[in-house]
Amino acid sequence: MKATAALLSILVLAFAALPLGAGDYFIGVGLSVLMYVALTQSWTVLSGMTGYVSLGHVVFYGLGGYVAALAWGTVPLAAIIPLAGIAAFALAATIGSPALRVRGPYFVILTFGLAELVKYIVIVIEGWLGKFSRVMFGAPGLDTLYYIMLALAAAATILTLSVRRSRFGQGLRAIRENEEAAETVGVPTVRFKLLAFGLSAIIPGMVGSVMVLRSTYFEPAQLFDPVVSFSIVTMAVVGGSDDVMGPLLGAAGFVVLSELLWANAPQLYMIFLGLLLILFVLFVPEGMSGKLFPARRRGAR
Amino acid sequence: MDAILSGQLLAAALVTGALYALTALGLNLVYGTMRLLNVAHGDLVMIGAYVAFWAFTLLALSPLLSLLGSAALAALLGLALYYGLFRRLLDGGKAAQRLEANSLLLFFGVSVIVQNLAALQFTSTPRGFQYLDEVYHFGNISVTGNRIAAFLVAIAICLGVMAFLRFHVTGLAIKALIQRRDAAAIVGVNIERVQILTLCLGFATASVAGALVSMTEQISPFMGFPFTIAAFVVIILGGLGNITGGIAAGFLLGLLETYGVALTSSAYRSILIYGVFVLILLVRPQGLLGGRRIVR
Amino acid sequence: MIRNLSLAIAATAALATAASAESVKIGFSIAKTGLFAAGAPSQLNAYELWREQVNAKGGLNVAGKKMMVEFVQYDDQSNPGNAVKIYEKLITDDKVNLLLAPWGTPHHFAVAAVLEKYKFPMVGNTAASVQLREIKAGYIWFPTSTIPDKMAVEMVKLLKANGYKTAALINNVLPFAKEFKAAIVPELKKSGIELKVSEEYPPDIKDMTAMLSKVKAASPQAVIVLSYPSDSVLYAKQAKEIGISAPFQFVAIGPTIDFYSKAVGPAANGFVTMGHWSPHKAEWKRAKPFYDAYVKKFNEKPDYLDTVLSYMSCEILEQAVAKAGLDKEKIRQAISTMTFDTINGPVKFQGVQNAITPTAFLQIQGDELQIIWPKSIATSSFKAKTGW
Repeated sequence: MKATAALLSILVLAFAALPLGAGDYFIGVGLSVLMYVALTQSWTVLSGMTGYVSLGHVVFYGLGGYVAALAWGTVPLAAIIPLAGIAAFALAATIGSPALRVRGPYFVILTFGLAELVKYIVIVIEGWLGKFSRVMFGAPGLDTLYYIMLALAAAATILTLSVRRSRFGQGLRAIRENEEAAETVGVPTVRFKLLAFGLSAIIPGMVGSVMVLRSTYFEPAQLFDPVVSFSIVTMAVVGGSDDVMGPLLGAAGFVVLSELLWANAPQLYMIFLGLLLILFVLFVPEGMSGKLFPARRRGAR
Repeated sequence: MDAILSGQLLAAALVTGALYALTALGLNLVYGTMRLLNVAHGDLVMIGAYVAFWAFTLLALSPLLSLLGSAALAALLGLALYYGLFRRLLDGGKAAQRLEANSLLLFFGVSVIVQNLAALQFTSTPRGFQYLDEVYHFGNISVTGNRIAAFLVAIAICLGVMAFLRFHVTGLAIKALIQRRDAAAIVGVNIERVQILTLCLGFATASVAGALVSMTEQISPFMGFPFTIAAFVVIILGGLGNITGGIAAGFLLGLLETYGVALTSSAYRSILIYGVFVLILLVRPQGLLGGRRIVR
Repeated sequence: MIRNLSLAIAATAALATAASAESVKIGFSIAKTGLFAAGAPSQLNAYELWREQVNAKGGLNVAGKKMMVEFVQYDDQSNPGNAVKIYEKLITDDKVNLLLAPWGTPHHFAVAAVLEKYKFPMVGNTAASVQLREIKAGYIWFPTSTIPDKMAVEMVKLLKANGYKTAALINNVLPFAKEFKAAIVPELKKSGIELKVSEEYPPDIKDMTAMLSKVKAASPQAVIVLSYPSDSVLYAKQAKEIGISAPFQFVAIGPTIDFYSKAVGPAANGFVTMGHWSPHKAEWKRAKPFYDAYVKKFNEKPDYLDTVLSYMSCEILEQAVAKAGLDKEKIRQAISTMTFDTINGPVKFQGVQNAITPTAFLQIQGDELQIIWPKSIATSSFKAKTGW
């Protein structure tokens, strides 16, 4: 416990120090790592803990981004980000009830379908508003966005840690092991699942708003890109979703590897990534954190 | 309103439906027997389309003939994947526990590799060709030759597979595997052989669908994804693992898409499709035509 | 003594040439994978051809000195966010001397902010949006004339010149098509041309029968299809099937790319499309040699829109650097003020836009794409489409 806290504090300090010395490119890479840490940690609150694998998490990211695109210019930055988080939470709360009644692979496909549905609805709404794309002038600089993202990544990690340690977390794990049994022993499964779903949505919403300001360009088909959902799941698998260090390893490993491969094997790096994913799924299903920190895996018993 | 009642729309709906049915057929077989979520399904369609394109461009071979090549190539790929990847997953052990989630990621990895190999090999420049593109008129319905051909081939294959599953020993074995896997083993079905066969058959039919659509659509390395989505929508509509249901659902989707669009507007096409998809999953996950209750 | 002198001279000359065999690094990102990967090859090929030609001449002329061109390129995966990162890397980490543009409007927008921040000039190419004008002039320029609002005005002029009174419009919901639609609908109204059908469709549409039946039933004289390559192919095949007989059929994106005629064949004869180039204009001396060189290297025709624009951006950069060397401020000055000689004739920028090349349209006539509007640069006149 102390070791985790110490390790995490060191990481936060390291990331905080990055912009002071590094060039813009490295800050950009750092931003990507932090973004995926924030996304993946949040994702594990739902999918890692309850076993309900969401393949549509980009919907919260996209919605947050859309809120930012709509509000930019009229609402100050400090309000936009929380607003994005609230919108994402609201979406999760609304669709969560019916959605979480669906189990197993159906849930996986359902989340994917929901993300696409929302994407097309946003496209139609933008059509009604007469907008085909939005450009955000005067967006905050890289350094500001970086620190906001650092805060989000830290928040997501703390969220995951607290959930894991709480009775709520125990309940979630019980749901993952055997939902019927959990119900029988009195775990309020419906409420817990819904809460997990909602919690897992807030930070991705805020992350979306930050990233749309980073690229200063909003267009629904790109912001709701399913590749983001797949990337989150990939990082969780490669990093391991049973431990708070998992997403950190997954995100950092993935981003750093991408950057290295891009630069040196431009045509082939996607192929390498695909191979890597396959190798991990087959040979290291517990992920990097499972391999590196086997003793840390806590059972639900 | 005349447009709605016209035969033209019906013809379009049938052709679209037949292709949806064929595309989804393979996915249904693979999921039904092995619970593998093949998100690379659409990329098999892409492979089939490229085989047909190159066969036509370089060898002047009709896609109706080269679809055999498409099927063979896809079946080989299925074989390779089975022995290389899925054997391990289907056998038990750590990875097998989360079979469906893991298969999803495995196939995602495969998809990324296949798409990028195609991009590397063929460049991303879009391709197309014309074949059988004279228009035939039946009363006031006009249909292009290649669409008629696609329709006929798709129907033939669907019917063929249905017959195979009903009347042939191996087909029955596949059905047994879909319905009660454990029982199938007891009655002496050679699970491994049936699995391999199903994977190859599933891949082959998807690839043939690709050869058929190559006559009417643009071909490019990243064209597969919409086909994967459509296939998933169809198999959910029809009930996962329900082959006949899936074929009917393919036609249903074709009708829905064509008439739904005619009644509202093309702009709502995707909302319509995903809306129905989500609705089915929420309300009746076993599909419109599936009978069994879902047990995880 | 004379012998020693000539040896000395020879040695110095040799040293000088050796020194100038340094290379100049030019960086860019391009969509090798993802949503836009199908469009990017048109652009990448232009870049590659240009580099090959420049290096064959001994290198790029940098204010008198010749330097070989070396590309530093990355795949942005069709994601503008990645493009931002890549250009930051190119500037701060790879320390490239010059930049070329990425593919597509969203990427140009995203990168404009980076260029502004580092005061690094770049000539854009494959971007077309009214919103481009809102970008502060400074470090990015757009040679294209296919801007939606101008095209709307010119298209209506073209329709009126041929006496057409009725139209139907179908469009993809992607940004450029929607922008074009938003510009053209009021123009049609203003000019009294009746818009009988107006429908939108999603990018992954598989069947246009319902929509095209409506169009056919309305019997318009002009059908305006604001489509991207894959739906442009679908339109051609299905409009032929249903038998749409309008004499004017405009297909926005696709017909200028070589694969289109192979995919669709004679059905595309008579389609009008966006573009402002032809290899057959004698007064554009560079046009035909470029065309021949491209066909020789790639075994297919260039994309008359994207490939041409991309190549033009290279020519502009080349000419600016010949005058200004590698100093960024001087290059910026040069690009803003010089008149360039490109394969599309002369180009001069006013603010961010090209002030010389007129907004034009091409038409597929037989085997060729001809410029049919405006008369000032036309290579042929508009011919009504008569069947499939």
